[in-house]
Amino acid sequence: MEQLLQTGALLCTAAALVCGALALLVTRKFAMALAVLLDLLLAAGLLRLALPPTPQRLLTAASLVVVRRLAGVGLRDRSTAPPPAGPSTRPPA
Amino acid sequence: MSTAALGPVLVPVLAPVLAAPEVVSEAALRAAVDLLVRLVESAGAVVIFLGALIGFVRFVVAGLTDSGDDAFVRVRLGLGRFLALGLEFQLASDVLRTAIAPSFREIGQLAAIAAIRTVLNYFLAKEINAERAQVAERAGQDADRPRSGPLARLLGRTAPGMGSPPSQA
Repeated sequence: MEQLLQTGALLCTAAALVCGALALLVTRKFAMALAVLLDLLLAAGLLRLALPPTPQRLLTAASLVVVRRLAGVGLRDRSTAPPPAGPSTRPPA
Repeated sequence: MSTAALGPVLVPVLAPVLAAPEVVSEAALRAAVDLLVRLVESAGAVVIFLGALIGFVRFVVAGLTDSGDDAFVRVRLGLGRFLALGLEFQLASDVLRTAIAPSFREIGQLAAIAAIRTVLNYFLAKEINAERAQVAERAGQDADRPRSGPLARLLGRTAPGMGSPPSQA
C-alpha cells in the first residue's frame, strides 16, 4: 500500500511538471502554468499525506498549502492590478 | 417495595450479566476500526489518483488542441472537484481514527493531519467556486474560437491570419 502511494505521488509529480510546461508553452501565461503545476503537485501531496505521517511529510504538506495560497494571492493581485502607465503611443496631432 | 428489599431480587438477576465477558473486545473493535480506516483512506487515495490521471489526459488534450485558457480552467475545475472529494474521504478516515483510544502522540499527529486537510479542503472549495464563476462568466463568449494547435492544424482548423485551411475540392 505504501509503495503504491509513493509511486502514485511520483507519477503525479511527473505529470505536474509535464502539464505545467505544456500550459506555459500553449498559453504563454506563467500564472496558468503555475496553477496547473500546483494543482497536480497538490494531488501528489495528498497521496503522500495518506502514508504513515512523519514530521517531514507533514511539513511538506503544510508548505504546499502555504505556497498555493501565496501564489494564488500574488497572481490574483497581479491580474487585478491596473496596467502600468507607459508612454502614450498616440501620434501627435 | 423498598430499595433494600429490591437488592436480594436484583442481584441474582444482574450478577450473570455483570460477570459476562465483553460482547466486543477492545482488540476486535480496534481491528475493525483499523480496517475501516484503511478502506476509507484507500478510497480517498483512489479518487485523488483517478482525478490526477483524468486531469493529466485532459490537460494534454487541451494543450495539443490549443483550446485556450478556458479549457485549462475547466480541466482545473474538474481536477479540483476530484481532489476535494478525495480530501473528504481522507477527513472521514481521520474522524474514524478518533474512535479508538489513541496515545497522545497519535492524537498530535492526527490533529496536525486533520488541520492540514481541513485547511486544504476550505481553500480548495473557495478556488473551485471562483473557477466555476469564471467558467460561467466566459460561457457566453464565442465557443467556436478557431484553434491553432498542431492537432487543430491537422484537422484543418486554423486561427485568423494563419492561412486558410486546405481547400476541399
